[in-house]
This record gives sequence, structure tokens and C-alpha cells, in this order.
Amino acid sequence: MITIKNKRPVIVGIFILLGIAILVVTIFTLGGQKKTFVKSFTIHAIFNDVAGLNKGGNVWFSGVKVGTVKDIQFFGNSQVDVTLSIEKSVQSHIRKNARAKIGSDGLIGNRIVIIYDGDSTMLPVETDDLLQVEKSSSMDDMLAILQSSSKNLFEITSDFKSISKKINSGQGLVSALINDPSMANKLNNTLDKLQATVSNFKTVSVTGKNVLSDLKNVSGKLNEPGNSINDLVSDTIMYREIKTTLEQLEKSADAVAALTSNLNAASEKLNKADNAAGVILNDTATAASIKVIIKNLETSSKKLDEDLRALQDNFLFRGYFKKQEKAKKQ
Amino acid sequence: MEPHIENIPIRRYVLSKKADEFFTGIYNVYQFIILFFKEAFLSPFEWKEIINQCYYVGVRSLSLISLTGFITGVVFTKQSRPSLAEFGATSWLPSLISIAVIRALAPLVTALIAAGKIGSNMGAELGSMKVTEQIDAMEVSGTNPFKYLVVTRVIAITLMLPILVFYTGLIGMLGAYLNIHQNEHTSFVAFFHSAFNSISFLDINSSIIKAICYGFTVGIAGCYQGYYAKNGTRGVGMAANSAVVISMFMIFVEEMVIVQVINAIR
Repeated sequence: MITIKNKRPVIVGIFILLGIAILVVTIFTLGGQKKTFVKSFTIHAIFNDVAGLNKGGNVWFSGVKVGTVKDIQFFGNSQVDVTLSIEKSVQSHIRKNARAKIGSDGLIGNRIVIIYDGDSTMLPVETDDLLQVEKSSSMDDMLAILQSSSKNLFEITSDFKSISKKINSGQGLVSALINDPSMANKLNNTLDKLQATVSNFKTVSVTGKNVLSDLKNVSGKLNEPGNSINDLVSDTIMYREIKTTLEQLEKSADAVAALTSNLNAASEKLNKADNAAGVILNDTATAASIKVIIKNLETSSKKLDEDLRALQDNFLFRGYFKKQEKAKKQ
Repeated sequence: MEPHIENIPIRRYVLSKKADEFFTGIYNVYQFIILFFKEAFLSPFEWKEIINQCYYVGVRSLSLISLTGFITGVVFTKQSRPSLAEFGATSWLPSLISIAVIRALAPLVTALIAAGKIGSNMGAELGSMKVTEQIDAMEVSGTNPFKYLVVTRVIAITLMLPILVFYTGLIGMLGAYLNIHQNEHTSFVAFFHSAFNSISFLDINSSIIKAICYGFTVGIAGCYQGYYAKNGTRGVGMAANSAVVISMFMIFVEEMVIVQVINAIR
């Protein structure tokens, strides 16, 4: 029969080794979480009240755990100097003007230090730098706010209670609306009318929309080159010509105005009987005389015409008229 | 004239019979511990017997300790859940369990199991050797029975109990994880991250210190009761019984003292 030598020591050795392995893994896991084996640097923050912060408490930056509280010492009269051990790898992210405050990792969780803010234009924080601090809201402050809020809530509910009492007792418009059916009907009618008005507005708005669309089309066409109005707007030469034409038209209008004025003056004079034309136009006696004169002139011209014909046949002037005819023919 | 001494009662005890026996017992334990340290650091060292005892104390106890640790983790998680659920804080279960198991339960449960199993075993084994005069025979044969029987056993249990505590802690946490995963669907990484986030090196150190103290106590109590057993087979039973009772009592006393000291350091 073969017996295994040293069986028991080997088993005990394995047992001890496994046990120690559990311890080592635990230590390294814990060390990893507590950042024990990570290169770090220290910075300080001086608080008036650390609200129960403990050594070993976590330090958060932008919600990430970046270190632990290394030491807590009194500073000056009653202030507290908190030394923070921060991972070296995040040093470049924390700026010199970053701020620190005391917070907690839950509603009733452990106290922690929260680093926040920091302008990216500032230099990164250095070893043993002092961070600015801000007083954070403690549980007492929150309770005080809660107390104030509950007082306000009580007043509001009291007011509501009073309002509901009035409504129930039939006071006010709201009560009438709830209790009086005629009021409700009126309101219903008003709402119907309002609905109709809204419907009209809707139609108007559709029409307006169409008008705007047309205007848009028109303006689009106006913007197209080659269009006469577009040329008018955009062609500078044409603009000058139109301007010149308008100036000339203006001058012509002035001239027409002057002419009209003159005509007015002339017509005024014609209407008066203190001048020859006026007498002719306005005096009936003179007109009758002129009529007679014209009649006489007509008779005279007829007689003169006859005389002249007789003169053409006269031997004294016959040669002259023959010469005239010859000259016309040539 | 000669004094008349016949009527004066003879003083046989310092305080009373029981009180004298009690204080004598304490003195004897003190002497026993001193002798242990004297023999422990003097050669020759009984390495083979120490390894044998480590095997019995450590390896042979592992299954019982593992099962107990697992049940402890599961039961403690189940018991804690309703209280935390009232506040909607079941996500804190891993933290609570890790603090409870690493700081207190793992060392305490392991030590109590060791006291029941190993302490009684030592008391009965050494007691039976004493009443059957095997120890006297060893002395006659030139073997140092104290070194061979007591020192090896006490060293073995003092060394093995911290190792058993690591196993109990790990298995207890695994039991808690299984229960939490089943109910809260917490992932393995999230569970252990949350668990380790709540404990510190001081907790682990205090657990190791506790385990060493408890191991030494169980070993000394078991060996002392067995080594000084008398009155035949009845004395063997009494030795085993006393070893368990005294070990457990001393474990709780030490627990209280160590917690006070650790809290003062914390």
C-alpha cells in the first residue's frame, strides 16, 4: 500500500495559504477603495464647523471620490483645519480657486468634504494650498426651513379653508358658478361665443396666412432679376433716369402751373369789360355792332371780289395776270 | 499562664472554601499561562505535533465553520432587511452586513464554534489522558507533556482561529451577497464595493486581534481544564464542560474589552 508522505502538513499549508490569501485580497481591495496605496498630496480647508466630520471621511470632487480626510486640528480660536489627502492624478483638475464644503453621502450618511467649482483659467492646486470654504446647510438649517415652510403651508390651508367655507355658504362668483345653473348656462353660452370667435379668428388667420403667402410670392417675383420693378429697385442707371424725368416733370408741372396762372389771369381779364377782348366777349351791344360790321364786311368782300374779277378783265391789268399764270406753270 | 487555645476556631481558609478555590484557580491559570510562554519559546519545538494540531483545529473545523458562517450571513441579512426597508434603505444592507460580519460576527461566531468543538475536545482528550495517567507516563518516559500536549494545541488554535475567521468572513459575506442578490438584484461588484466602502483597516486589525485572543483563550481554557482533570471519567466530562463554559464566558468578556479599546482608538 502506497502512503503519501507529509499529507497533513501539505493540507495545513494549503489551508493557511488560502486563509492568508483572503486576508491579502481584503487588504488590497480595502486599500484600493481607501486610496491607501495611491500617490497623494495634501491640501487644507479651514471651516468654522465641520459638523461631525471624521478622520478618514471621504473627499468628493464633481461627485467622484478623490481622497480622504487625513487630519482634523483646531485652528485659531474655534476654527478647524481639515487636512485633505487627494489623489495625485486629479491634481490637474482641482483649481486654485476651487471651494470646499461639508456635505454628506446620503440623507443620514457619513459626513464628507465636497470640493467644487474652480475656474479652468486658474492654475491647478498645489501641495498644502488652502481652499476657500463655504458654509453648507446643516440638518438644523434644513429643519428650520422645513418649519418655516410648514408654517406657510398652514396659513395657505387656512386661507383655502376660509375660501371653501364662503363657497359653501353661497358667497362670491365661484359659489354662484357652482350652485346657480343659470350662471353656468350663461358661462356656457359665453364659452360657445368665445369658441365661435376663436373659429373666426382661425379663418382670419388662415386668410392672413394666404395673403402672406401671396405677398411672399410677389416679393419673390420682385426679387427675380429681369422683372421691371426689380430693375427699378436694383438698376441704379434707371433710377437716375427716373429721377431726372421726375425732376423734369416737376419743372414742367411748375411751368404748367405758371401757364394756368396766366390763363386764369387772362380769363379774369376776359370776364371784365375794361379791355377790348372783354368788351367783345361781355358787351352785347358791342357784339351786335360787331355782328353788323362783320355782315357789312361780308357784303363788302363779295362786292370787292366782283370788282377784282372785273379788274382782271380790264385791259390795263390783263397783261400782269397773264405773266403770273405763266410763272406758276414754269 | 498558658493561653487556653482549645476554644479558638482554627482558620483553615483565607476567605471561604469556595472563594479560596476560585482565587487559587485564577492563580493556577496564571501559572499555567506563564508556563506556556516559558515552554513555547524554549526548544525543542514540537513542529510535527503543532502541524497535526493545526490540521485538527483548522482543516477539520473548516466545513463546520463555513456552514455556520454562511448561515450567519444569510440570517443576519434576512433579519436586517425589514428594519432598513422601513426607511427605504435596503441599499445599505451590504454596508451593514460588512460592518457586522467583519467587526463582530466573524470572530465571535468562529470563536464560539471553536470553543464548542475544539475547546471541549481538548478538555476531554487531555482530561482522559490525565485520569488514565498517560500524562504521568509521558513524564516518566522523558517527554515534556506540557510542551507536547498543551503548547502545541494552544499555538495551533491561536494560529488557526484568525485563518478560520477570514474564511468565516468571506463565506458569511458570500451568503449575504446571495440573499441580497436574490432580493435586491445587486451585482457582485456593487455589493462588494459598498461592503468595503464601510469598513476600514482598523476593523480588519481588530478582527485579527480578537481572533488571536479568542484562540488563545479557548486553547488555554481547554488545555487547563483537561490537564488538571480529576475524579476519573466524571472529571473528564466536567473538564470538557468547563472548557466550553469558561471559554465562551471569557470570549464575551474579551469581546467587550476589545470593542471598548478599539472604539477608543477609532
